[in-house]
Amino acid sequence: MPLDIIVGIKWVPNTTAVNIDPKTGTLIREGIPSVVNPHDLTAVEMALKLKDKYGGSVTAISMAPPSALAGLEHVIGMGVDRGILASDRAFAGADTLATSYVLAKVIEKIGRFDLVIMGHETIDSSTAHIGAQVASWLNLPYVYYVVDAVLEDDGNTLEVTRILENAYEKYRIRLPAVISIAMHTFNPRRVRLSEKLRAKMEKPIEIWSIKDLEIDPNCAGLRGSPTVVSGIDFVPKVPRKNEVFQGSDPKEAARWLLSKLIEEGLLDL
Amino acid sequence: MASKKMLCSEWEPINPMEYKGIWVYVEVEGGHIHEASLQLLGEARRIADELDTYVGAVIIGYGIKELAREPIYYGADKVFVVDDPRLEKYYPNLYGDVVCKLAKKHKPEALLVGGTMRGRELAPYIANNLKTGITADLTSIEVDKETGDIILIRPPFGAWMLAHIKTRNRRPVMGSVRPNIFPTPERNEDRDGEVIEETIDEVLDPRMEYLEYTPIEKAEEIPIEKADIIVSGGKGLGSKEGFKLLEELAELLGGVIAGSRKAVDAGWIPHDRQVGQTGKTVKPNIYFAVGISGAAQHIFGIREAKRVVAINIDPDAPIFENADYGIVGDYKEIIPALIEVIKEMKMKKSGSAKN
Ligand SMILES: Cc1cc2nc3c(=O)[nH]c(=O)nc-3n(C[C@H](O)[C@H](O)[C@H](O)COP(=O)(O)OP(=O)(O)OC[C@H]3O[C@@H](n4cnc5c(N)ncnc54)[C@H](O)[C@@H]3O)c2cc1C
Ligand SMILES: Nc1ncnc2c1ncn2[C@@H]1O[C@H](COP(=O)(O)O)[C@@H](O)[C@H]1O
Repeated sequence: MPLDIIVGIKWVPNTTAVNIDPKTGTLIREGIPSVVNPHDLTAVEMALKLKDKYGGSVTAISMAPPSALAGLEHVIGMGVDRGILASDRAFAGADTLATSYVLAKVIEKIGRFDLVIMGHETIDSSTAHIGAQVASWLNLPYVYYVVDAVLEDDGNTLEVTRILENAYEKYRIRLPAVISIAMHTFNPRRVRLSEKLRAKMEKPIEIWSIKDLEIDPNCAGLRGSPTVVSGIDFVPKVPRKNEVFQGSDPKEAARWLLSKLIEEGLLDL
Repeated sequence: MASKKMLCSEWEPINPMEYKGIWVYVEVEGGHIHEASLQLLGEARRIADELDTYVGAVIIGYGIKELAREPIYYGADKVFVVDDPRLEKYYPNLYGDVVCKLAKKHKPEALLVGGTMRGRELAPYIANNLKTGITADLTSIEVDKETGDIILIRPPFGAWMLAHIKTRNRRPVMGSVRPNIFPTPERNEDRDGEVIEETIDEVLDPRMEYLEYTPIEKAEEIPIEKADIIVSGGKGLGSKEGFKLLEELAELLGGVIAGSRKAVDAGWIPHDRQVGQTGKTVKPNIYFAVGISGAAQHIFGIREAKRVVAINIDPDAPIFENADYGIVGDYKEIIPALIEVIKEMKMKKSGSAKN
């Protein structure tokens, strides 16, 4: 039984390259390269593994400005069959409710699918909202933090194992369904040049606008977002002693540190 | 031009003025209320007093009636209970649907959910079904003095900053809160409140079947949020091996090890030991930051540490500005030296005790 899978991917600033100006506390954004959210590559890997095993197709979807095309090309390079970018000025300023709505509309327009796979969370906003919200819009069963999924013989149910803080849980879930993959579950496969070339030749990536998706503009972007940032302020800095050991002998440094901590009654040696 | 905002056609119109009360979703796990829920009851109490309204707790499941008064002892005025055999097993869509039914009926102004893994799975589904906004991982809550609006506050991209988030025209205002952001209130059996038993006629077909629960065997370790001494490692350790040294130091001091997000991302230490904005908030007496640069999101998790010790090879690393005691150097030299000196001191002490 083949599986038609949709994976949500987000194009995010590479936070490991993000620096914060310690003087002003603001983000230094210049020259920060973007990447596919690493946890979404894990989700793509899961989708490709399922496709390798059961056949079917993998479609990657994203809501983002046109620059995110590079992200879709990247996952097509991994072996994803098709990419869809929901992109429109009217989508700007979306919170998670409005983002998930557009993604749900994209999925509805794709029409045929068995499974939607999301990443654990994004590294830029880390909300882990989108999976549950898409499930809510589409009225589908869902479960988070999946580490393993096996298609049952009937072809309509998936047995998933998921991880919580202190336990594994197993569910049998009727398809179509939405799952998110626990971070670090798989190592994403490499991009193959031949696949990437295919992306250039066959153009399997489409861009869908608000018109293509027939979305009420009041439901998308800023207008479709109940939450707004009403202000920003700075985190008060915790005052610290800022004493630094002067010298280069490690054992002396160790003695210095330990005597400080013992003096303060924080250590008893 | 100021035009009247049109409502999304998918949203039911509501009158925000009708919404009253600060609700907490109370998570039950293995017959106990999760500590994260108790912590939220304390914060809900504070907000409710400021707004002159009530604190509501929602408890759902099967065989949970005996827990129903518990939220009252931690600050709730009303507890809405659904005790139903159909809720014996947890399914996110089913539980979410029941909470939505209660929220539609009683119209709370706010609904807070503990940011446990299940809580983070459940909360956005509830928010979406109610077509309201939700803020993840908020770290404080304020009431706008003029408008009475509830403002949820979270560190955005750079944690030196805090974003104030308002929910326009939709209710309840929803947020999830990581464990230990708020303190656990004192349990007080003298507090009085009302238990309201709710019944649900029709429950959603979850289209899922619960098969198995397998606890993860973990070494008997103190969770980092409860530890007095934490030895934490970052990307600067260079490899998983580096953590062995930290482990040795931690053991000598009766502490535990933790790590930065980069150490977690590298797979050197599990996610439940991550300190910071998207990990845990810790409050040890001593926090050793070893090979950690001191990014805002990391520092956010250690603001309640009594003393911060930084060991870093780079004298300009921001961690030194956020530390009490700093040693500039290679951890591969500093940590073994610390271990050696501690051993010497311990020997002397036991030696002198014997004499
Ligand atoms: C939304 C969001 C949420 C985030 N949440 C968190 C979070 O919860 N927790 C968190 O930690 N981060 C979080 N981050 C990531 C954070 O911005 C930093 O990227 C991360 O904290 C850096 O980890 P690090 O200090 O281990 O690595 P690096 O920044 O790479 O620092 C390594 C340090 O090791 C030092 N070093 C190298 N070699 C040695 C040696 N031999 N001996 C001693 N020192 C050495 C270097 O000088 C350097 O200072 C978040 C980011 C975002 C955008
Ligand atoms: N703009 C987007 N386009 C496509 N998928 C997304 C988008 N934002 C989030 N997702 C998916 O939803 C998951 C959770 O994201 P978040 O709620 O932002 O933490 C991500 O790992 C992605 O799989």
